[in-house]
Amino acid sequence: MNKEQTKKLVLGGFGIIGLLYVYFAFFIGPLHRSEQAMTDRIADLQGKIASSKSEMAKAARLEENARAATSHYDALRALSPEGAPIAWFPPRMKAFFAEQHIDKASARLESTTASKEKELANWSRYTWAIDLPQADFVTLGHAITLLENSEPLLAIKKLTIRAATESPELQQASLTVATIIDRK
Amino acid sequence: MPLTLNLLHEEVAERRKRKRDPLKLSMYVGVGIGALLALNYLWTGYRVLEIKSHLSQVQHDWEKVEPKVTAAQKRGEELNAIIDSTKTLDSLIDARYYWAPLLEKIARCVTPNVQLTNFDGSSAEDSSITFTLDGMAAGSEPRAVAEDFRQMLLEQVGKEQQGAKVEFKALEDLDTVMPVGGSNVGVAHFVVAVEFNPHPAPTATPPPRRSRAKKEE
Repeated sequence: MNKEQTKKLVLGGFGIIGLLYVYFAFFIGPLHRSEQAMTDRIADLQGKIASSKSEMAKAARLEENARAATSHYDALRALSPEGAPIAWFPPRMKAFFAEQHIDKASARLESTTASKEKELANWSRYTWAIDLPQADFVTLGHAITLLENSEPLLAIKKLTIRAATESPELQQASLTVATIIDRK
Repeated sequence: MPLTLNLLHEEVAERRKRKRDPLKLSMYVGVGIGALLALNYLWTGYRVLEIKSHLSQVQHDWEKVEPKVTAAQKRGEELNAIIDSTKTLDSLIDARYYWAPLLEKIARCVTPNVQLTNFDGSSAEDSSITFTLDGMAAGSEPRAVAEDFRQMLLEQVGKEQQGAKVEFKALEDLDTVMPVGGSNVGVAHFVVAVEFNPHPAPTATPPPRRSRAKKEE
């Protein structure tokens, strides 16, 4: 092989190397990258589809299990009617104690705070003062029993009973009660 | 051996030289490699197109499923929130203190020679209950009558509330006398304070100690 031939051989080698570089850098490389991206996307979507099936099955199971909790929650929400509590709570208490033969009952709002528990973000705490100026002790005890049993979201925080000065057979009572009411 | 003359020797040598031209040969090799690469490119392109159609099919499937999954997740979150809220409400309901049974117990302790004039009770944030009772005790030994009342109250309250404290805050004889059972008897004024916790915080139990016998083993 003479010098001229060697030169041509080297030139040809360079040509082939250039051809391979152009092919891999500009033709097959982008194609492989796009193939890889699409394969990854397919794997991702297939994973999501597979997990979605279990997710939906879990939601269906939860729906089944939460039936009792949902109905209980709805029942608790139904205890507080629509509208501002200041509008309906005092008349409700007055009517309740009147039914228990305790007249002249009055209720007033003392304070309102947002619920401390994060699970009860939609609920508010109301503190009320209920005055019962004339109540017989036995009737009062019976009324308190009924109140505690019929209003599960009501808790008596303070209770004061003192002998009425005018009529010795009657007592004056005052209750401070806390209620949890859904903000509808 | 006869001598033969090849008059086309130079022409043949020139042809051979042209045939073995490295540039030409490398061009042939280059064209061959190029053809192979083109085939590979076409095959890879075909595969990519196939993957693309598979991807569009998977994407179509996902688009069908996605709204259902999102709705299921949202509903799941809603239900979990309802369950948590219900649990919290139930715990608040269970933590309430019922005053009516306490009033009944106090009423049971009041004998004809004891008169209560004031009841003042409250429940604290830590669920402890405190109340005070003001009253009068009448009898030949009014302080003993008041003590009997305190004992009876302790017995009644202590039945359900372990660790209930029932103490006198005040106990004093009054100068007045009161007719009880046809005779005038002395009167004492008393103030009884009661304290208990119906839902005490659970105390941590110490870990069980290893017995020496076991150690020796």
